[in-house]
Amino acid sequence: MTTNNEEKKVNSKLDRRSFLRTSALAGVGLMTAPMIAGAQSSKKDEINIGFIGLGQQFERLFDDAIMKTQMYKTENIQFKAVCDIFPYRRNRWSKLMKAYKHDVNAYEDYKEMLEKEKGRMDAVIIATPDWMHAPMAIAAMEAGYHVYCEKEMSNDLAMAKKMVQTSQKTNKLLQIGHQRRSNPRYLAAEKLIKEYKLLGEIRNINAQWNRSVASHSVPLPKEKLWMSEADLQKHGYGSMQELYNWRWYKKFGGGPLGDLGSHQIDIFNWFLGEKTPDMVMASGGKDFYDYELDENVMSIYNYKTDAGSVRAFYQVLNNTSWGGYGNYYEVFMGEHGTLIISETTYPTNNGWFCMENYAKLNNVKEITDKWNKAIKDKLIGAAYDIPIDVKSKQVLVLGGTKMSKLVPHRIMTKYDKAVHAPHIKNFLDAIRGDAKLTCPGKIGYETAVSVLSANKSIETGDSVKFKHADFEV
Amino acid sequence: MKNKFAKLILPAFMVTLLMLVLPSCEKKNETDNGKSGQTPAKTGTDMACDSCDSNPQNATDVPTPAPAGMVPVDVTYPAAVFVGTPANLSTIPNLEAAYPEGYVRPPIMAPKGTVNLARGKVVTGTDEDPIIGELAMLTDGDKEATDGSYVEFGPGKQYYTVDLGQKSNIYGIIVWHYHKTQRVYNDVIVQTADDPDFIENVQTLFNNDIDNSAGLGVGTDKSYIDGNKGKLIDGKGTQAQYVRFYSNGSNENELNHYIEIAVYGTPVQ
Repeated sequence: MTTNNEEKKVNSKLDRRSFLRTSALAGVGLMTAPMIAGAQSSKKDEINIGFIGLGQQFERLFDDAIMKTQMYKTENIQFKAVCDIFPYRRNRWSKLMKAYKHDVNAYEDYKEMLEKEKGRMDAVIIATPDWMHAPMAIAAMEAGYHVYCEKEMSNDLAMAKKMVQTSQKTNKLLQIGHQRRSNPRYLAAEKLIKEYKLLGEIRNINAQWNRSVASHSVPLPKEKLWMSEADLQKHGYGSMQELYNWRWYKKFGGGPLGDLGSHQIDIFNWFLGEKTPDMVMASGGKDFYDYELDENVMSIYNYKTDAGSVRAFYQVLNNTSWGGYGNYYEVFMGEHGTLIISETTYPTNNGWFCMENYAKLNNVKEITDKWNKAIKDKLIGAAYDIPIDVKSKQVLVLGGTKMSKLVPHRIMTKYDKAVHAPHIKNFLDAIRGDAKLTCPGKIGYETAVSVLSANKSIETGDSVKFKHADFEV
Repeated sequence: MKNKFAKLILPAFMVTLLMLVLPSCEKKNETDNGKSGQTPAKTGTDMACDSCDSNPQNATDVPTPAPAGMVPVDVTYPAAVFVGTPANLSTIPNLEAAYPEGYVRPPIMAPKGTVNLARGKVVTGTDEDPIIGELAMLTDGDKEATDGSYVEFGPGKQYYTVDLGQKSNIYGIIVWHYHKTQRVYNDVIVQTADDPDFIENVQTLFNNDIDNSAGLGVGTDKSYIDGNKGKLIDGKGTQAQYVRFYSNGSNENELNHYIEIAVYGTPVQ
């Protein structure tokens, strides 16, 4: 029998859950943040989270973004369940969360978790190999949970599309893990491109993520911990190597393009104003290893914009550390200036808007006025005297002659904390109805089509020409 | 008088015995970058660090001439591994220089007969039921960075104690916390004592707790980036039966990780 107090608690809980569900839906289209935030006490309503997939990427999300930033406290996150097919991980993380006094249940089977945690969980965070994202996310949304799903949203575009459709059908939030879209520094850069139009028309893009041969694989656990062949096969894996280094296998992932390129090619689309490409051609090679998917890839995307055409070159190389600026960056080249930006959290890699010096020399007011306004508004710093980032000793290659030279201005918005934290925060805010998702499923789908088509181009040896319908859901 | 000599003069003398000699004395059987048969990998300690003091003269392990009669101690190092994106270590105070690229640690020089006394010895700790792993793994000789090689203690200040079995001369200690990713552990304190409760003859061999947050006194040693070579601590010829290792989370999280401890010395006759 329930006492009055207990009934009140239950009702309060139900009301809160009801609020979370309805407010999340409102959050898709409404910005009710100030009213709700004002009405709340200093401690936010708890959000109950379950985690599916407890591998390396989960560690980044949990350790770096949720624990190290204290987000679990400030956002009042309660950990309710963990799920992984590998017992070592399952045991470790459930015990760890219990050490922090969270009432966590551990599961091998995600379907069992989704069923048994009904009424205890509001959302799930999925960080499994790509091939399982879609079945897990779809099942979770159909069971009534909001979903944060790591990128690539799937290595199967038909399944990725189904994820978006399920989100629309169930009215559940689906955030895809392209975390740059919530990064304050990238948001500032986007504003400077779109509103201040510092670059003029973007004509060319260049981006890369290079790393040495040492970074190609995740070390396997001690053999004593390995799952049996039967258990691995039950879950679709042929070996512990496949489970730990799934990114290199077609069945499970999208190779380095799906892993690294996905983040950066997503930014191409975003900074061009949510454009999708018209064509991609790519070439790849298995030069050092013998994995199924190419370790070295170079690709060229074509975009059509209102102002003409844009070409974007993207490379991801796993045999060299060459590249500088943290080894990965994106460069957007416009007629009035160039943006170089990287997600790396080194304190000096804040991103630079570099004005074409001819504009300054000739006092082209059309250009200098908007750059001066950005300086006045404290969005970028004053012209930097020395074309070298002194502390990191990384030279910004800015051209030579007076007329063909760039003048760097640092982006003033700094962000050097866990790169996934703002994106998870955005997801939590959206659940509470305080924000719109910065990377909903539809955006993630457009990026997945853009990225995975480059793999298709490598496979066929032909360019892939897109139709508008390819990006529709 | 003899007793005083044994307690004060002899340890001081032994300090001079723990010397590091020139790299030309490198033992051929040491595992190091590119020598392990695995893909050569960059060590965590080799990664760039903006805030680190880059003056190699300030790094630890600076070799000094070895006294006559000393022999190199047999130390093996695990393969270097680095997974993930380099961490931003620029805000960590009191951080010592990273080892230079391709650094090979000179051998520890100590009296003949010096061995790893901790190997296979009993370990106790503040977390008797670790989140992952067992205390016995800390002295099992496995120094690898992989899953299944490390023990994870709960959040906050934690310690574990190794019972060497009898009073011993301690010439050098190497501690491995976690070297799969770049990490700097907080409040690393190493103490020795004659009794398991650390009441008798407590000596502090290393302490980088610069704000005394662990409550064991202000330390003057530097914080360091853990790597496959572990952290070498001068044993100073200290005589003790018990060695205790403190930590208080890392730059990554509040948890405490330990892979292996090696205590190089000889039993007191």
